[in-house]
Amino acid sequence: MENRLPLRIVLAKVGLDGHDRGVKIVTRALRDAGFHVIYPGLWQAPEAVVRTVADEDADWLGISLLSGTHMTLVPRILQLMKEARLDNVGVLVGGIIPEADIPKLLELGVARVFGPGTPLPEIIDFLRSQGSRTHA
Amino acid sequence: MLDDLVARFRNHDRLALARLLTLVARGEQLEAISAAVEPRSSHTPVVAITGNAGVGKSTLVGKLAEHLRAQGTSVAVLACDPQSSLTGGALLGDRVRMPSRPDDAGLYIRSLAAISGNQAVAEHVELMIRLLSAFGFDAILLETVGAGQGDTAVRELADVVVLLVQPETGDELQWEKAGLLEVSDIIVIHKADLAGAERLESQVKELLSLPGCREVAVMRVSSAKNQGLAELWTRIAGLPRRNAAIASGAEQLLRRAQQLLADRLQSHPLQVRPLLDRWQRQELSEAQAADELLQLLTK
Repeated sequence: MENRLPLRIVLAKVGLDGHDRGVKIVTRALRDAGFHVIYPGLWQAPEAVVRTVADEDADWLGISLLSGTHMTLVPRILQLMKEARLDNVGVLVGGIIPEADIPKLLELGVARVFGPGTPLPEIIDFLRSQGSRTHA
Repeated sequence: MLDDLVARFRNHDRLALARLLTLVARGEQLEAISAAVEPRSSHTPVVAITGNAGVGKSTLVGKLAEHLRAQGTSVAVLACDPQSSLTGGALLGDRVRMPSRPDDAGLYIRSLAAISGNQAVAEHVELMIRLLSAFGFDAILLETVGAGQGDTAVRELADVVVLLVQPETGDELQWEKAGLLEVSDIIVIHKADLAGAERLESQVKELLSLPGCREVAVMRVSSAKNQGLAELWTRIAGLPRRNAAIASGAEQLLRRAQQLLADRLQSHPLQVRPLLDRWQRQELSEAQAADELLQLLTK
């Protein structure tokens, strides 16, 4: 393997949403692509997610939401990240997100939204092309 | 840039601690960071939790952390999971079993990837322990990967090594295999609420009573039923701290020198090869060969 530093990404399920098949598939794909994936489990509070990102010094946060609560929870997490001086950590959203909400999420500062059926290499390539914004 | 980071670290900036740990995990600027952080404090106990995959290491670490927080003791956890030697990737999932206390500054959990096949903990853990201790954590819990067998590195790092075993995992000969019983200070019969715990406890005790065994405490703990946790910590806290006693002075330097020699040996395979050949052809005794190797590496 070349001397490339592994990107650290926290993949989080937030709120009352037990649908974790998608996040597990992405977890495995990123692991096999050489990422270090930190998975804290189901039913995370936004505060807990932000604490995990801070203490793990993550480069990226991926939020998986299939419960329709994205317009409540994602802004909340982004706000908490800002307060915790973590605004340079890249944020991805995955799951069931209606077309109409995607521009709003991007406007809020989400880097990309990946819906169902996204080819896994697309996510991997995106992260590789972006690299780390927190580590020079 | 490092100066700024260290200044923020000394100002108790948690993000600076997190970033320094990342640098150390990546093996970057080790000398400079090491020079900026005080030597390991003898006041901070480092407790390693080891045992096979699935035996409940993360769960027990989480329960111990909660127990310590309830007593007002601040805790840092270093949780190691395996990193693939093929892809370099890792799934760090120990947090799933650990308490989520987002508002609690007295708990810090860091997931680390340990290159599989090397040792049961990530590289440069010693310096990470010093960072966490200098930051002010009262106790450090070090969770190893689920390797368990043939590993003694944790004994060098930790003051107390707790080995977890669980009922119904194989015959008693398993425990005789190298690396398990010899590294541990306390053996925990984990999942003690399951059938077979008593039988396992008596088997382990019988093994330990054979001539030549060190004295090792055996305790039954059930994280699921919250049984035996307080007793376990009392026992841990009551043990003499192996590394605390030797962490200062000559022993610390010796360990540093050992590490340096090992690194140099790794990076000069070609120069060492002729010496190895001569030794293997028995042209040199082992003592002579070792002596020459030392000269070669310290040139």
